[in-house]
Amino acid sequence: MKKRKGLTLLLSAIMMMSLLSACGGKANNTAGSANSGNTDSSGAGKDTITALLPPVSANYQARFADMEKEFNALHPNLTLKIEPASWEDMTQKLDTQVNAGSPPDIAWIGASGLSKYAALDVLIDLNPVLSDEVKVDYDEVPMKYFQLGDAQYGLPAYMEIHTIGGNKQFLEEAGIDWKSIQQNGWTYDEFRKAIAKGVVKNDKGETSRYGFVFATSGVTSKDYLGILAKTAGLPDYFDNDLKYTYTSKKFLGLLTAIREMIDDGSMPKELSSIDAGKRWNMFLTGQTMITGKGLSAFENSARLNNEKIKANDGSAVADSIQVDYISLPVPTFNGADYIPTSIVDGYVALRGKKEPSEEHIKNIALAVNFLSSGSIAANYSNELFLTPITESARKAEVLEQFPRNEDNVAAGKAMMAKALPARTDIPTEQAAEALKIETEVIIPKLQALLADEITPQEMYDAVKAAAVKSFGEDGVVAD
Amino acid sequence: MNQLLTKRKKLKLESDSGWGYAFIAVALIAFSLFTAYPVINAFIISLQKYRPLGSTYVGLENFVNSFSDELFWKALKNTLVYTLLTVPFNILLSFLVAILIMPFKKKTQTIFKAVYYLPAVASGVSLAVVWLWIFDPLKSGIANQAVGLFGISNQNWLGSSATAMFSLVLMSWLSSHGTAIIIYLAALLSIDNSYYEAADIDGATFLQKLRYIVIPFLKPTTLFLLITGVIGSFQVFQNAYLMTGGGPDHATTMVGLLIFNNAFTYFEFGEAAAQSLLLAAVIALISFFQFKILGKDIEY
Repeated sequence: MKKRKGLTLLLSAIMMMSLLSACGGKANNTAGSANSGNTDSSGAGKDTITALLPPVSANYQARFADMEKEFNALHPNLTLKIEPASWEDMTQKLDTQVNAGSPPDIAWIGASGLSKYAALDVLIDLNPVLSDEVKVDYDEVPMKYFQLGDAQYGLPAYMEIHTIGGNKQFLEEAGIDWKSIQQNGWTYDEFRKAIAKGVVKNDKGETSRYGFVFATSGVTSKDYLGILAKTAGLPDYFDNDLKYTYTSKKFLGLLTAIREMIDDGSMPKELSSIDAGKRWNMFLTGQTMITGKGLSAFENSARLNNEKIKANDGSAVADSIQVDYISLPVPTFNGADYIPTSIVDGYVALRGKKEPSEEHIKNIALAVNFLSSGSIAANYSNELFLTPITESARKAEVLEQFPRNEDNVAAGKAMMAKALPARTDIPTEQAAEALKIETEVIIPKLQALLADEITPQEMYDAVKAAAVKSFGEDGVVAD
Repeated sequence: MNQLLTKRKKLKLESDSGWGYAFIAVALIAFSLFTAYPVINAFIISLQKYRPLGSTYVGLENFVNSFSDELFWKALKNTLVYTLLTVPFNILLSFLVAILIMPFKKKTQTIFKAVYYLPAVASGVSLAVVWLWIFDPLKSGIANQAVGLFGISNQNWLGSSATAMFSLVLMSWLSSHGTAIIIYLAALLSIDNSYYEAADIDGATFLQKLRYIVIPFLKPTTLFLLITGVIGSFQVFQNAYLMTGGGPDHATTMVGLLIFNNAFTYFEFGEAAAQSLLLAAVIALISFFQFKILGKDIEY
């Protein structure tokens, strides 16, 4: 009996020990285990840099082992340890580590998230440790996206323009001169007429093809509004005087246009529930002439699906048709200039509770630059159908060549040329307040507007009231 | 001699008590580490403007902010509505299903139990994906095809304020009562057969047996399911997060989702912790009244 009790207690103790070790155990040399902080005391100058990275392109994560080896070959005293993360858990994983005070040295983020981490004071300014040679390698516009004030908190990996994408055959059937639009752009009125022509109804009078479908379900509605707002004369939440801009009448005009496109029947009345996967499926199955948001890589996705259809491959999207993907610029509203929405993602340098040494920061900068330039950047840019944003990547050879639509390549370059650098002057507190209005007022009200539950004027009034509450009457644009 | 025996018994008792305390200590340490410590820590964080590299003490500011935040009250109201619509119906449905399964042979019962319990084993995310497909807003959606049979036009199930909450409630009604059915069945099987035999001799009908034997005997089980159901329902997060994101226009923003957004979207951990504690207080209060009102005449 005593033996059994003793055994039970022993097993319980082992269980507790394992729980405690799992809970309090330090490090195991993964990226999640914390910022290395200082150079390793066991060997002079030896240092480990950790990175948390998502599957940026199809083969990016598969090359991690090679990347680690290559970095070590370039810097024998340094070790780069990369932890992969899926797109789904990338932000959550990073945020958990940041809040525990033990982030990786390097993490992949969208430049729009910079102010969030800056407000937490966990970013490292790489400016003092980046050489001029490194700085000149990067194009100016994307480089600015990783700056706040004078600080350079990381380096950009790529720059992507958010476009809309058309089905070449349907565009031509509707008599739309897509080549001219690619080169010269279009106004909202021209766009509205064009998407109306793209609508096809069946014998019962039901719409079998829409002119335009954009993913707007949940947070994707933020993309929709943000992309259209850029070309509606509202390039940022704040103007040059740091006044909140969505209180301008231009915003009301844009909201009215958003509602009109649904009321015209050019977009589905159920638009507010259409997510990114659904709208792409609708594009490939011929249920819409134009889709948004467009990315360069979608041309390749459509091409791959076409090949599957030709080869009678069962993994082709069900009921899909052959589609030639045409990149188109977003129309302009309110007579505004065309300003594309640039998405710049890249690598940010982070610190935890343990203050990193100057030497370690230098090593982080070396690793960040290694990941965001040269052959590594050349390969993921190539797989994503993007033009590299560093001179070294443009010169580097890529592992695989893909067929491209030359018209799309030219259109992409034309749109890229109009990209504006990021604003680096907006105080983080002000940016955080705008983010709160976006999440608590703009997105919910836009969902209600798309569902035809409130009018454009009601949404405009709600946003204006929230903005005045946050920034005061003098802190918002009144026109 | 007698004295010696008493002493031995006493010693044995003391020795057994030692073992008892040792075993309790294991559970107590686990509880302290994984329950008490997080709760205490949440309270400390709720008094701070939390920042990973150095928080500042702000007193009750986070609680005051929560009380003055319209969205917090709206989320609380949404959660209450969701709870009122789901918990009683789920208990009733579980009870009815358990009653229907009861007369079958053991093997058939097991098949039914397995089938009904399956959603409880499946990942909530997978379930949400299936339900997103059911609530597809276009004609291709199963729910729209179903209402189409009655001549009703396409519904924007998750995208409209009129139907979003109902869609989440429907999802709960049809996919989350496996555990309750198993518990009810266990309780039904524990009722001694002699009660039914006596009722049969007295000529009691099925409904009379239900009214005078089954329901009184199942009252402790029902109270348990009601309290745990309310607690679970007040903490609802996953479905709102995955299916609607709280929209449209906050029609389905639950307190759990609001807390998540405060913590992981705005990094306002102090406010999120304060709201968590307020939610815990609301749940505790409701549970207390449930015990007070419904637990009076229960014999365990």
